[in-house]
Amino acid sequence: MLRFEKREKISVQLRILIPLISILLGVLVGGIAVMFSHVNPLTVYKAIFIGAFGSTYVFSETIVVAIPLLLISVGLILVFKMNYWNIGAYGQYIIGAIFGTYFALNSAETMSRPILLTVMCIAGIVGGALWALIPATLKAYWKVNEVISTILLNYIALYILKFLMYGPWRNPQNFGFPLTKTFDLNAQLPKLVMRTRIHLGLIFGIIMAIIIWIIIKKTKFGYEIRVIGENEIAARYTGINIEKNITIAMIISGGLAGLAGMVQISGIIHMLQIEINPDYGYTAIIVAWLSGLNPLTAMIVSFFLGGLFVGASQIQITMKVPIGIVGLIESSILFFLLGGVILTNYKLYYKGRKII
Amino acid sequence: MRPDAYSIIIILLTATVESGTILLFPIIGEIFTQRSGILNLGIEGMMIIGALAGFATAFITGKIYLAFFMGMLAGGLASLIHAFISITLRGNQVVSGLALTIFGLGVTNFYGQKFVNLQLAHTLPKVIIPGLSRIPFFGPILFKQDYIVYLSYILVIVTWFILYKTKVGVHLRAVGQNAEAADAMGVDVYKVRYFWTFFGGLMAGAGGAYLTLGYTPFWLDSITAGRGWVAIALVIFAMWNPLYAFVGAYLFGGINALQFQLQAIGTTIPSSLLSMQPYFLTFILIIVATLLVKAKHIGVPKELGIPYAREEK
Repeated sequence: MLRFEKREKISVQLRILIPLISILLGVLVGGIAVMFSHVNPLTVYKAIFIGAFGSTYVFSETIVVAIPLLLISVGLILVFKMNYWNIGAYGQYIIGAIFGTYFALNSAETMSRPILLTVMCIAGIVGGALWALIPATLKAYWKVNEVISTILLNYIALYILKFLMYGPWRNPQNFGFPLTKTFDLNAQLPKLVMRTRIHLGLIFGIIMAIIIWIIIKKTKFGYEIRVIGENEIAARYTGINIEKNITIAMIISGGLAGLAGMVQISGIIHMLQIEINPDYGYTAIIVAWLSGLNPLTAMIVSFFLGGLFVGASQIQITMKVPIGIVGLIESSILFFLLGGVILTNYKLYYKGRKII
Repeated sequence: MRPDAYSIIIILLTATVESGTILLFPIIGEIFTQRSGILNLGIEGMMIIGALAGFATAFITGKIYLAFFMGMLAGGLASLIHAFISITLRGNQVVSGLALTIFGLGVTNFYGQKFVNLQLAHTLPKVIIPGLSRIPFFGPILFKQDYIVYLSYILVIVTWFILYKTKVGVHLRAVGQNAEAADAMGVDVYKVRYFWTFFGGLMAGAGGAYLTLGYTPFWLDSITAGRGWVAIALVIFAMWNPLYAFVGAYLFGGINALQFQLQAIGTTIPSSLLSMQPYFLTFILIIVATLLVKAKHIGVPKELGIPYAREEK
């Protein structure tokens, strides 16, 4: 019934239109899902929108969520460009937060604020990068499937965090709750905007997005990544060291996820606990993909998905609409996007009639 | 003290089979999906959809086998999204599978809210098989289980037979090894792929339903706890052979049962480190399996993850 015929040239309009239409359709599916639980979808979406962008404060909260999404997703883009997969940002984020916390707990009295924060950032990057180096090495030398190894490492990282929080790092003054003590001011990332929670991490995110964009467009490494992504066999034939490139991209990507975890606890939570939002590591995958693997577009998409998350968190409390609506909408958008991409290269025929 | 230790081992191994069964279904399903050349990373999503569909049906109707069937069916239906995107629309299978997982977790959180912390009045009843259950040691472990566990034993043998001894199996393997050649032979590549992707969904749904109907008869958010990902790892460990699916599933089940028992008894080992063990074991298994597959030259289905476009040939 459905038939595809190759286009002579790639349709540029569709390439821009398809992601936008996918977002609309994804939102539509979310609306239908909401209707099934007897809530008016228009009310829900209006509430999400107001909850995400309706006041200066919620607007700033949207940016707060966009920060880790952006930091993680631009790193993922490097890996995804090669047609390799890092699904382990969740774990790298946790390990980065743990590494940063070590210094926040042990060096706050001996280091000045700028030095301590620099050390914590580096620790976060190193932690995430090391955690990413495990699957990268396994992939490069033993061909161990990186999708599975990175995901399993996420669970392992989560239990390491739980071990620390229920064990050596639990602050005895917290009545048994698994929390560290609140970080000294020295270990808190400075705020960027008064009376909001927007912190220095925003600058990191924007700078990193630009750097990654330059890496992809202007450097030899970026060129090689693109060649590998387009045709791995050809890349190997032209003498590109694929293993080396995978490892470097994974280290950068893991480092950025680790940095995201670090800035989240240093800039927002001000302590280490079990709930530090590592799920951003999964949402960032969607950001990377929705942005068409373009780090600059990722800024807009991070903001959009950050808003969806903040808005949905609001209606979970006010309208009792479960937070699962976010995953439902995000996955639906992805489905439409993945399915729709074929139209940029192919014409669609239905029962012999050309549709698009 | 000897009989005591003996009965503890029996209890442990019985729990191993129960816990392993949750994985055995999805592993078998994914083996066949991957054999057809389709990589479905959405097992976690399909499992949890099956888990909720099964739980909800059992909770509302009280009919436990109907519930199991509904769980299976729900998993199957979910797999069709992935099938349509990967087979007809030739979309990226890795991302589509991830999206399916996110979809499953989202949808079950959304519709499962009203069931959270509720418990089933009846779980799958144990059925003691006369004769077989009296075999020393193995009898009580393997044959004092429920019908679904028995179904899983049969499934392993039947699917092994189908894969290696029937024409259906030959076609399936042909499509997964060389879709173009299979097409030339007259095999409908699309049909084969749709069918076995759907089968993979049914099996993932079955595993999820067994989780909430037999193993832990209550509903919680994200109750599958990463088992879908473990299943995918164990597909490689099984080297795409249904017979070996047993080994991985029960190894995971065993370590899971063991750490559970240790936590129940109360050891000095922190519970977080015990809970980590099944995932850590799977992580080691996937490395070992990859090296084994390489050494023994047992190939991944060569077409795995590659869309097939007929009209271009």
